[in-house]
Amino acid sequence: MQNLPLTRREFVRGAGGLGFLAFSGVAPAFLARSAMAQTPAPERDRSILVIVQLAGGNDGLNTVIPFTDDRYYNLRPTLGLKNNLLELNDDLALHPACQPLHELYGEGKLSIVQNVGYPNPNRSHFRSTEIWETGSDSDTFQREGWLGRYFDNDCSGSPEAESVDADPAAIHVGDMIPQTYLSLDSHSLFGMKPYGKFDRGQDPADLAYEKLLQADHIEGNASYLQHTMMNTLVTERRVEKIIGRYKPQASYPGTKLAQSLKRVAALIHADMETRVYFVSQGGYDTHANQLNNHQRLLTELSTSMSAFQKDLTAHNKDDQVMTMTFSEFGRRPAENGSGGTDHGTAAPLFVMGSQVKGGLLGQTPELVTDATKDLTYSTDFRGVYSSVLDKWLEADSSKILGDKYEHVPFV
Amino acid sequence: MNIVSPTPDTFAVKDAWKPLPMGFWDMGTAQHFLRRVGFSATPEAVTSVLRSSPGAYIETAYRAGAVLPRSEDLKTFTDEAPARYNNMYRVKDAEEKRKLRQELQREENELFRSFAMDWFHYAREPENSAREKLVMFLQDIFVVEQQKIKDPQQLYAMQQMLRDGTTLSYPELCKRVSREPAMIRYLDLDKNTAHKPNENFARELFELFILGEGNYTEDDIKEASRAFTGYRVMRRYKYYQAKKLQDKTDKTVFGETGNWNGDDVIDLTFKRPAARTFLIRELVKFYLTEEAVDEAYIEALGEQWANHQFSLPYLTKTFFESRLFFHPAYRGNMVKSPVHFHIGLCQDLRLDVAPFQSRVLRGMATMGQAFYNPPNVRGWLYGEYWINSTTISARRQLVDYLFANLNEKRLNGNEKRALSAAREAGRGNFLVTNERLKQVLSLASDDLAKHFTTYFITEPSRANYSKSLKKIIGDTASDGAARRVRSAIIALLQSPAYNLS
Repeated sequence: MQNLPLTRREFVRGAGGLGFLAFSGVAPAFLARSAMAQTPAPERDRSILVIVQLAGGNDGLNTVIPFTDDRYYNLRPTLGLKNNLLELNDDLALHPACQPLHELYGEGKLSIVQNVGYPNPNRSHFRSTEIWETGSDSDTFQREGWLGRYFDNDCSGSPEAESVDADPAAIHVGDMIPQTYLSLDSHSLFGMKPYGKFDRGQDPADLAYEKLLQADHIEGNASYLQHTMMNTLVTERRVEKIIGRYKPQASYPGTKLAQSLKRVAALIHADMETRVYFVSQGGYDTHANQLNNHQRLLTELSTSMSAFQKDLTAHNKDDQVMTMTFSEFGRRPAENGSGGTDHGTAAPLFVMGSQVKGGLLGQTPELVTDATKDLTYSTDFRGVYSSVLDKWLEADSSKILGDKYEHVPFV
Repeated sequence: MNIVSPTPDTFAVKDAWKPLPMGFWDMGTAQHFLRRVGFSATPEAVTSVLRSSPGAYIETAYRAGAVLPRSEDLKTFTDEAPARYNNMYRVKDAEEKRKLRQELQREENELFRSFAMDWFHYAREPENSAREKLVMFLQDIFVVEQQKIKDPQQLYAMQQMLRDGTTLSYPELCKRVSREPAMIRYLDLDKNTAHKPNENFARELFELFILGEGNYTEDDIKEASRAFTGYRVMRRYKYYQAKKLQDKTDKTVFGETGNWNGDDVIDLTFKRPAARTFLIRELVKFYLTEEAVDEAYIEALGEQWANHQFSLPYLTKTFFESRLFFHPAYRGNMVKSPVHFHIGLCQDLRLDVAPFQSRVLRGMATMGQAFYNPPNVRGWLYGEYWINSTTISARRQLVDYLFANLNEKRLNGNEKRALSAAREAGRGNFLVTNERLKQVLSLASDDLAKHFTTYFITEPSRANYSKSLKKIIGDTASDGAARRVRSAIIALLQSPAYNLS
């Protein structure tokens, strides 16, 4: 029984030159790449971005708490937090569940960007997530994600992307490809589960499968499936090996987010060329019974992020990695009648890493006493993106975002 | 090969929704019809539907009165749950309370999983497939997540309500949805009162059920949520109007002012032009194509639909027998959903759904479609969103399993019981055995390749795949032929083409 190929190059070679001409759409790129194929030198010093999505709309006012502002307690008679607050300065404090993040803040490894949002906020989960993921204005619709456009702009021309041995441009944990990654050109994306093994048995049926994969697939979705299946086959084997032998240097909680980040750490440690990772934590849509739920969510978030940072540091990878959170919106300043909060607008986000400058950035949101009013953002989220793109990923943010936005000095 | 999608210039709008002329009702159109309306186009199903017509098939498939049988255990739980919950809430001792709650949760979880299995067995029966797929379509509009609701009876009742709802008008269905305990809890309607409004339901009613984003204002939502006050659930399963909690003052929704209740708001919403087209666009996305279809077609059908009081039977029959539905540009290029893939496999291979809960339900979750657990209130996105390396690996694993040997010694106690129960119920035939593979060896490799590609995959890849399959199978009279046929079928069912419909 023949072993399955471990790299795309072996795949091409094993399939026998001409067979691959049949790869419509995919074929020319594959052939071009195979012709130039060289094993790329592992680059050990390039910057990596890890995105943590807080899905559902994280309540910003109970994450960074304006504990000296009476209006906050008036708006939130039952949800307003008073005890065990983790002070950031004389007026602001982190939620008590954020102890591990508070420590990182103290060490200057955590920046908190306050009151991030965009003009004419949309309060639909999907539309607002789409706005955040595409980096579009609230009244324009875009399919491609902001990082997808980064791949389109920066990755296609680089030598390592031409190589058939290239690692995925981006990796996400979970069943769904984030819209953040959608692009015009096709880039190799890889999704993995937070838990469990990937293994596949060896079988002559696998060889038959590879043969059928080489047939002509002209229709749009068939060609897309074919492309995905091939890439998957190659990457699957590699990633499985890396994760299987990884020895974390921090103790990760058993939560989904922590386990997802542990896998990301394994791949970073293995010097994968992938520069972007996306993990997600759900449950932030706290319309009811928010106190307990939010406490649990922020505990999971901060313990996971902190374990990840410790692990990276122990492996000397912390200088290379920046981790950033985002959520589609914050929540209404006034609590509702169900012990929860309805959809709102601006909220703070976290940026973590050894190269991060640390501290509180941007303006603190201005609270108003009218219970029906939302916060007005003071930092455009695309300012955060442009800083990441220009200063961390060394790309040209104006090309990717279509405009220039004021940088936020966390890097 | 790529056939250009129709536009009003090439394909007249006035003809688009007329029934397909019977002269075009042949093997090709019948296969397209069966795979899109249901999950597979087996030789028997094709022969049978060709004797009938698309319209007649739809009327039979969606006829009123279908009920998913409810297990005795679920009935008992339903009778006892309200009292058991009340009892649990009344208990003072924290430890005792915790035990009672855990016991309820454990039972709920178990009953939910058997409900899920019951549904898979039911939907796999060819006479139920088309209707259950339509129920899935509605479940992707009126989303409810098991993770939040948990109570298996509330989830069962919601699904059965949608099943009955396929024979109603859409406004009537929306009103029933607003009274359904699972929905009332899912979108916090039971927390919405005159003094403390909760906008969750009103927002999704406009955005996800009737109009679509951008067709209402934030004020419409605020006003409408006041009309949906007083919706409560009694004894867990019964809806009632709590008069005291209702907001009885005037509300202005879409510019019309009055003391509206929830039903009035739904009626007002259906007066908006966007209500004519929203569901049709969803129907197109679910059943026809991921690309946008020219708005002129959508608007034309929307007008006809509105003239028929938004009747769902009118809409589905008109849609599925229409010329546009059979347009060649829309054939063979839709990614199957995991449910479609799984049930379709069972039907194509004439297999029962495996009796093992963990195997079936966990498999569905890895393929990205955990039963009754969509990612969020918008439901699954369908189409190419199903496909990534994780889900592709899971689909391949399912095919491998269907061709594996069952090692009965390694089954755990639950699985052994499930297996003997399945055999008793005549559902023990859930894996492809070597005996069955040997039966096909009387055919030559040419004929086998042709048969497999005709019935398992769609037109575009048939010629190429036939050539490869013939080579893989080789001489069917020689040694190891059964094994080679096995490899060929497995590969075919894992191929790009089999993932499309």
